[in-house]
Amino acid sequence: MSTSNPERGALQHKSALVVGVGGLGCPVALALAEAGVGRIVLCDDDLVDSTNLHRQILFSEADIGSDKLDSAERALYRAGALPGSIELVRSRLLPDNARELVRSVDVVLEGADNFATKFLCADACWLEQRPVVHGAAVRLRATVLSVAALGAPCYRCLFEDLPGGAAAPNCAEAGVLGPVVGFAGALMADRALSVLLGDTSLFGSLVSYDAKTDRARELTLTARAECALCSAERSIDSISYDRYTAPSCAA
Amino acid sequence: MATVRIPTPLRVLTGGEDQVQAAGDTVKDVIETLEKNHPGIRDRLLDDKGVRRFVNIYVGDEDIRFLDGLGTALKSTDEISIVPAIAGG
Repeated sequence: MSTSNPERGALQHKSALVVGVGGLGCPVALALAEAGVGRIVLCDDDLVDSTNLHRQILFSEADIGSDKLDSAERALYRAGALPGSIELVRSRLLPDNARELVRSVDVVLEGADNFATKFLCADACWLEQRPVVHGAAVRLRATVLSVAALGAPCYRCLFEDLPGGAAAPNCAEAGVLGPVVGFAGALMADRALSVLLGDTSLFGSLVSYDAKTDRARELTLTARAECALCSAERSIDSISYDRYTAPSCAA
Repeated sequence: MATVRIPTPLRVLTGGEDQVQAAGDTVKDVIETLEKNHPGIRDRLLDDKGVRRFVNIYVGDEDIRFLDGLGTALKSTDEISIVPAIAGG
């Protein structure tokens, strides 16, 4: 891990956007709050479900049926979030709001459960020149990718575009192991805190964790010369709705 | 023979094995060997243009796109990793 026990005061003027307050977003938000990040924007539109509880650590049985953001806000303040630091956006990240939301923060943490949002977030962050940490976890596997404000490499260097049709993994059936998302969320938060503290050494690093073998492997990515987002040949210069139509995948 | 690390989504094709051995002088040859031993796996990795765009294949720590692609030559001690895109949490 790249940082430990950063001074809380150093982060009180920093801000972060957490896209998705689920299995990844919960440990992410908790870590950011406990580290003293001064403004944490939570973006989600979901309600707490009983199937969330094994991995979405901000919620308890008493929260079932409640708005995730309200429950998360209560839990984060109980855990010691700075007064007034939690900001709620009762919406998914959408083409209409993505650029404005990412523009307003210093770093974005993306733990969405679908590819459309992942690519939307990647595009918005590049267009607004914001660093982003992408996380994902399905079954026994998790990946975390740190991307600099100007990419190179970016998420599209790694996975060019949305998988289509039958090729899209069906994670609604796959499920995910609680500790796997906990590990990934903690790593995402660590990477984001490093960014907020000025450490750029982990940009372009992809960590892939396999819980079955209990191995985490780190790969250093190289930017794709013809990347549609971050290369000199880029073709993406705006957010276009039709670029993000894909089957959603709720885990 | 190269060692191929099989990601979770593809282990249903390898009988649950997370690591298999496959003969081949190049990455393409190894994929053909995988297909013979584990039918269906090639289609999950390749389409008519080459490696599917939401899958990445590494030899050691090197993405094959930055080596010789599917023609990347292999040594017997090489380890091949398949990293598919995942979305979930």
